[in-house]
Amino acid sequence: MTARFAWRLAVALLPLAGGVLAAVLLWNVDSLENPILYARADAGTVVLLFGAILSLFAGAGLVLRAVTDRFRAQVADARAQATEERRRFVQRLDHELKNPLTAIRAGLANLCNDQGPSVQQEALSSVEAEVLRLSRLTADLRKLAELETRPLERAPVNLAELLREAVTLAEEQPGAEARTLTLILPQAPWPLPVVLGDWDLLFLAVYNLLDNAIKFTDPGDTVEVRAVEEGTFVIIEVADTGPGIPQDELERVWEELYRGQSARGIPGSGLGLALVRAVVERHGGQVSLRSRAGHGTVVRVRLPVTSQ
Amino acid sequence: MVDRPKILLVDDEKAITANLRPFLERSGFEVDTAADGEEALAKIRTFDPDLLVLDVLMPRLDGREVLRRLRRADDWTPVILLTQVGESTERAMALEEGADDYLNKPFDPHELVARIRAVMRRARPGQPPLASAEQLVSGALRLDRRSRRAYMGAEELHLTPKAAALLEYLMTHPDELLSRERLLDVVWGWDYPAGTRTVDTRVAEIRRALDEDPSDPLYIETVPGQGYRFIGLVEAGR
Repeated sequence: MTARFAWRLAVALLPLAGGVLAAVLLWNVDSLENPILYARADAGTVVLLFGAILSLFAGAGLVLRAVTDRFRAQVADARAQATEERRRFVQRLDHELKNPLTAIRAGLANLCNDQGPSVQQEALSSVEAEVLRLSRLTADLRKLAELETRPLERAPVNLAELLREAVTLAEEQPGAEARTLTLILPQAPWPLPVVLGDWDLLFLAVYNLLDNAIKFTDPGDTVEVRAVEEGTFVIIEVADTGPGIPQDELERVWEELYRGQSARGIPGSGLGLALVRAVVERHGGQVSLRSRAGHGTVVRVRLPVTSQ
Repeated sequence: MVDRPKILLVDDEKAITANLRPFLERSGFEVDTAADGEEALAKIRTFDPDLLVLDVLMPRLDGREVLRRLRRADDWTPVILLTQVGESTERAMALEEGADDYLNKPFDPHELVARIRAVMRRARPGQPPLASAEQLVSGALRLDRRSRRAYMGAEELHLTPKAAALLEYLMTHPDELLSRERLLDVVWGWDYPAGTRTVDTRVAEIRRALDEDPSDPLYIETVPGQGYRFIGLVEAGR
């Protein structure tokens, strides 16, 4: 804050400094003429001028005040939003931990009670499954945290090839055979440009979107992956004819650990889209999502084509 | 009875040492535990372990400092670091400071046992491990670890940073069967669906750079259905 104030003060004093410099030159350099100026005005004009200057100062003060107020309000808003998001995150984390922990405690109680070997075996395997679930959750959280800080590999990535591989892999996923998966890539006038980025992370992002599209649609639905070049960007879209996302959930889907109402019965950590967003933003791109309940969803990834 | 290898397990979390100790004992090791770095240094003198499993984050003296002190005193007892942070810089640092291997928490205890056995097999008593060598040499292949550059003879190989990291790990673990999951964890710090395929892509990249025939390899062998193994003889270079 003080550095910014000093800077502003310097700018404000600039005209004065200019005046001083000009005056010193006019007074001291013999070759420069320093004529005496006379100004004449009637009292009415002087009063008018005086009033105008006063108003100018007052106006400038007001504008300044309004700008700082607005800036302060924005900062306060952002802070409130961050606090709110953090609160929701903690709440969701609490929820995500509670269920497996409850299951583990119940499983352990069954183990301690002297029951038959089949009950014990069942308890053991359910405890193990829940522990693995917690491990996956922490691993995903770590991924997300690391994505924001780890250095990004910037190598030429052939997106067409990446999309083909991701679709091939998604086709192997259980449930994929009951859905129609199509990939539409431009051939004319030229194929997709190469982007600079981290193949693995971009693959992870695209695969996550495909995985979601398959998980959250019904058998018989269509999943379409398409990519086009648009100016200095490549647009990748993953669209589906699934049940869609309710209007009131749309804003939240990118948040960490958010799980929509309809996602409750489907396995997942609620970190997939957050990861997608983190990857795309690290590449200087943006993500957006449109959905209509009952019709389907399309996720749009916009990646800059950075020339080397 | 044959002498059982002695392991000193150092972690400030009692729950971890209390559960790992019997597991390691059942796996054929003699185990002692320490709750922090200072206790670890004291126990090293009295217990004289064959290998240390060392947690990084501990009160008083952390694992990294214990490792540093040991190596400075020219003590090359094999060390496996238990890291919490998955960042690649953190892991690179672990190796640079003379750890023989590392494992990310939370881990599968079977994986720890596998790692202990592999490190013990590789260890050369009283000598620095390959993991702390600045240069690794295998035939005409030379890897400078500081700059992460690989050379074949005098010619530099063009490898992406991840392929170089993968080659480095393979060369510091010669003759060891490394699963794709393990390699993925090493180079990326985390696992993800389809990740194992990524390992294949990177291995293919290394092989192209080495001009190696996968069906008759000099350096990297594919173990079908299991992973990869560096089969070249690796020595520390100067």
